[in-house]
Amino acid sequence: MSGNDINRRDFMKFMGLGGVGAATLSGCDMPTTITLEEGKEKVVAYLAPEEYAIPGIGVYFASTCQQCPSGCGVHGRIREGRLLKLEGNPKALNGRGLCQMGQASVQSHYNPDRIMQPMARKGGSLQPVSWEEAWQIMGEKVSGVDQGRSAWFTGTVSGHQSKLLDALNQAWGSKEHYVYEAVNNAVGEAVNEAVLGDAVPAYRLDKAKSILSFGADFLGTWMSPVHFSREYVKFRTGDRGVLVQVEPKMSLTGANADLWVAARPGTEGVVALGVANVLLTKHQVNGNSLTKAALDLIAEYNASKVTEISGVGGDSLVRIANYLKDNSPSLVLSGESANNHANGYQNAMAIMMLNVLLGNVGKTIEASNSMAFKDLKAKRGNSRALLDFAKAIDAGKYDVVFFMGANPVYTSPSHLGFADKLAKVPFKVALSMFLDETTLAADLVLPLSSPYEEWGTTVAPYQPKNAALSMSQPLMNPLSPETKSLGDILLSMLKHHGVAGYAGYDDYYSYLRAALAGMPASVKAGKSGDEFWSASVQRGLINAPSSPGSLKIKLGDIKQPGYQANSGFPMHLVPSTNQNMYDGRNANLSWLNEAPDQVSKVFWDSWAEVHPKTAAKLGVKEGDFVKIESDQGAIETQIYIHKGVHVDVIAVPIGRGHEEYGRYAKGVGVNPLKILSPAEDAESGELASYATRVKVTKTGHSADLSRLGGSERQVGRRLVSTVAASVFRRVEGA
Amino acid sequence: MSLKNILENWSDYRRTAEDGGHHDYEHMWAMAIDLNKCTGCNACSVACYAENNLPTVGKKRMMKGQGMHWLRVERYWDEPDMGGDEKEYQERGGSFLPMMCQQCNAAPCEPVCPVAATYHTPDGLNAQVYNRCIGSRYCSNNCPYRLRYFNFYSYYEESWPEPLNMQLNPDLSVRDKGVMEKCTFCVQRIRVGKDAARREGREVHDGDVITACAQTCPTEAIVFGDMMDKSSKVSKIWAAHEVELGKHEQHKSDPDLRGYRVLEGLNTDPCVTYLERVREA
Amino acid sequence: MFVSEKNLFKRPGKKAGQRSVNKSLVLLFALLTSVFFVGGAHAEVPNATPPKGTHSGEDVPQPIDFPHDIHADINGINCMYCHTYARRSKVAGIPPTSKCMGCHSIIATDKPRIQKLTEYWENNEPPEWNKVHDVPDYVHFTHEKHLQRFVFNNEGMDVANVSEVCAFCHGEVKEMTVAEKVKPLNMGFCVRCHEQNGGPSDCWKCHK
Repeated sequence: MSGNDINRRDFMKFMGLGGVGAATLSGCDMPTTITLEEGKEKVVAYLAPEEYAIPGIGVYFASTCQQCPSGCGVHGRIREGRLLKLEGNPKALNGRGLCQMGQASVQSHYNPDRIMQPMARKGGSLQPVSWEEAWQIMGEKVSGVDQGRSAWFTGTVSGHQSKLLDALNQAWGSKEHYVYEAVNNAVGEAVNEAVLGDAVPAYRLDKAKSILSFGADFLGTWMSPVHFSREYVKFRTGDRGVLVQVEPKMSLTGANADLWVAARPGTEGVVALGVANVLLTKHQVNGNSLTKAALDLIAEYNASKVTEISGVGGDSLVRIANYLKDNSPSLVLSGESANNHANGYQNAMAIMMLNVLLGNVGKTIEASNSMAFKDLKAKRGNSRALLDFAKAIDAGKYDVVFFMGANPVYTSPSHLGFADKLAKVPFKVALSMFLDETTLAADLVLPLSSPYEEWGTTVAPYQPKNAALSMSQPLMNPLSPETKSLGDILLSMLKHHGVAGYAGYDDYYSYLRAALAGMPASVKAGKSGDEFWSASVQRGLINAPSSPGSLKIKLGDIKQPGYQANSGFPMHLVPSTNQNMYDGRNANLSWLNEAPDQVSKVFWDSWAEVHPKTAAKLGVKEGDFVKIESDQGAIETQIYIHKGVHVDVIAVPIGRGHEEYGRYAKGVGVNPLKILSPAEDAESGELASYATRVKVTKTGHSADLSRLGGSERQVGRRLVSTVAASVFRRVEGA
Repeated sequence: MSLKNILENWSDYRRTAEDGGHHDYEHMWAMAIDLNKCTGCNACSVACYAENNLPTVGKKRMMKGQGMHWLRVERYWDEPDMGGDEKEYQERGGSFLPMMCQQCNAAPCEPVCPVAATYHTPDGLNAQVYNRCIGSRYCSNNCPYRLRYFNFYSYYEESWPEPLNMQLNPDLSVRDKGVMEKCTFCVQRIRVGKDAARREGREVHDGDVITACAQTCPTEAIVFGDMMDKSSKVSKIWAAHEVELGKHEQHKSDPDLRGYRVLEGLNTDPCVTYLERVREA
Repeated sequence: MFVSEKNLFKRPGKKAGQRSVNKSLVLLFALLTSVFFVGGAHAEVPNATPPKGTHSGEDVPQPIDFPHDIHADINGINCMYCHTYARRSKVAGIPPTSKCMGCHSIIATDKPRIQKLTEYWENNEPPEWNKVHDVPDYVHFTHEKHLQRFVFNNEGMDVANVSEVCAFCHGEVKEMTVAEKVKPLNMGFCVRCHEQNGGPSDCWKCHK
């Protein structure tokens, strides 16, 4: 066992249960196992450890967090063969930091409800089977399928796993790969692509002096929150930029704003036009960058019209315009609550117009660097994939469907009838770590190893500067030898299918080694294949030379609908995304269930946020149960009251209300996605998840709300003291 | 340490400024938390769960205030310095306050312990010795910050179903029913940092020791370090904002310097300085 | 979580005669060897007062009756040759099976104990030893610091005599076959030694 890199893997293999067993018995410190009497505990030595494996001393190895699609680099602390804790990889985009999801991803890895062996549907229920049997079933059901009658339905994928998946689909004569993320930025990307020619440009928060964000929760859930948090600090120190957030329900970013403005859902574009109107009239901003049609439209949106439609007062419009004008350069962002409407594309276009008008393109919005590894790029998810896929399976288009990294049975609205449509697919395979709602609907379940047990590469969907490939390596032995990585399963399928060029690889590890060895010399920076591999695994990142791209500016037509009241369903439902539950994937982690929501401070349950005025109108107080009814159904949950919600809005976070998904998730809270009305964004075809109108009624039941205790007011104790920004700039400004 | 020794000497390192303060301590671990940088994201709290073997207690017990979050991020809606309560909307967002044991130098929890299970260390830490603790809970009642957490149940029985228990950090114990616990400033990490320095025959450098919360903070709002090291980042922040240990009120050359300590007027002499939150007026 | 201290002094019944016979044989053996190896078996540890206290516990059966005496005494192998982590980590460590095989792929391959060891090795399966020396989970004990104090940073101390330092807490292991616990390893035992040898008395130095 000498040499360098290959040993890392042999170590994993050789260590066997030895290291792990020793750790559970001698290191766990469970009080029940305490004994001072000799001979009551076992101690198992390593079989043949590497030099660095010293019992009692933690060592760090690099890998990649997969708890959300951001793809942050991590360092895992390993002791006695166990992964104990994760920290950010300082060389990665996220720096040394991690968010709460990343911290809690060890609980996903060690989850007591993980699937530990393959399962197949027998007599109506899923029964454990061997891999041999699983492959045999696959052979029977998949091999004979005609070209084009199979499809993959996945979450965001990238790197070499994505490359193998492409190769497999190509071999099967199928291009059908649906990439779905319930939480996405697809509408914004579509507008970026149309206007700038770059779907995901670099947002330079650090260069901006003012940020106007329409529902982009960049500190919580938007694209790459840890990276944006780091940039946010640069924005907030020195001369301290001004942050304005316009949204129907206060997000984490909204809770950090200097000015938080409540707008009726769907009217964000109108607010943007109103701000443009003030900029052009009051501040005489040069409108040459806009077309005559656009200028004419903006002229129509005077303060009174904007207030009538959006509920945003003229004084707020003036304040926003003043902040943007006085603190240049600015940056205007559109996020979930602006984009996910029937007029979402138009909202995002009107918001982009502000960037053009203020001259931000090229200053605070820069071209992303062109990615060196085109075939490894992230396939970003959207919700159109869900709608398209539902139509396709309803039409009986597929005989076989593979699911991985997405849980559409849980996240799809009831009106899609997704579970019923799915039943029409004769054979469904789920590659999964957990028995979630979708996995339980499958006919064959292939157990995935955790991201910290496998080899892989990841390309983060948001790549603002140097394009990088993030490495995943096993941080410990798999908890179950019966789980396999996505890469290994895909490789086996390719080999089974006899696709040329894959027979020579024993496993995904050897494929990856060869793939990295075959990278261009410019990437390897003069290193030999083996040296390059060692360096990549050690750093956790491969930086590739990239050339800066360029942006065009071609603003599309801007139009905005008027506001339509709905007397039967007078209120707007905001299915908000919160960082701890995200799209529901974190509901099986006890730490994140116990972690109070960032804004409402509610834990272990769902809740509905309303404004005090709305609560008075409904006659409810905190903890009262209300029935929230749309044209598609109803949910009941408890009320939380604060002034960070628009008066016409009731906000219910997504992520809870699972019918399955393990002991921590099952039966906890409600799922507002189920009662969404059928609505799509006209231009992009995305699901308009913020476009549902509801009627809210008191049920008469009441109980204490599970909220972090104590007063929400400081009652004169100077707990959080606040100082004016002008004072801050005088004392600490650059 | 014999019982006699403990009873006589437990307050050795609990010194008022008049008695010479902390100036001959080995270290004086302290924090500075910039509320202008803190976004309230809660990563610190979850990192603390991961590092310190904190059990999850479930909804019912959390609602009774029995949650074991050594570090909790509090959120307040009012802004006493800014006014604006009468406005229709929450225009300046929320006010976030990460609260962990303030490691008070004049800790109200220490003198009330009947068995000297909590005392001050030569590092200026407010220590809790689990195996001495008999669970009288006097300390918790005396903590003005409500930052001591009591094991009302044997949480370990349900909190780490296999294989979740494999994540437990062997560097500190899992606490059983009847024991008080609280933030230790990650004393296990301090131990590692000090041992490494000793082995290499040098002083502990600034940055050698970092608590789990400060480590993971995406905005680096939490700064941890040694106040005995005048060149440490934390010393510099305290000095720049004119906050001094051993005082119950600060006299500043410029009243607009942002540093303050929570409930300082109680003369608890905490080791955590907060820098004021900033908003456009 | 905390085991009452009276358990520490529990003396479970055991097969009385056997042990004393072994002991006297070993003692005789030790006396004989000390004659031949001057400065060997019972060398003084400078600048140290060994802790006092005895303990008599149960015999702990092990998967292989590892003879400490043959290795450490007859062959004079330094304790830290096998317990190699002691100088670097809080735990001394049971040597990895590969270390045993480093010698025993050649030496004494005909002996039943070695054959059993070889079987473990060939099955890629390390033996499960029964722990003899243990401290409660709320105690932070580190071998590394103690070895620094008494061996490496101890003027006049010869590293070859490290077993005398080990013996402070583990007894004369080189006179045993499988290890036995002969010291109480309770708080009083630790504290008395700390007082006599200038160890720290701060609670948080040793409790976690």
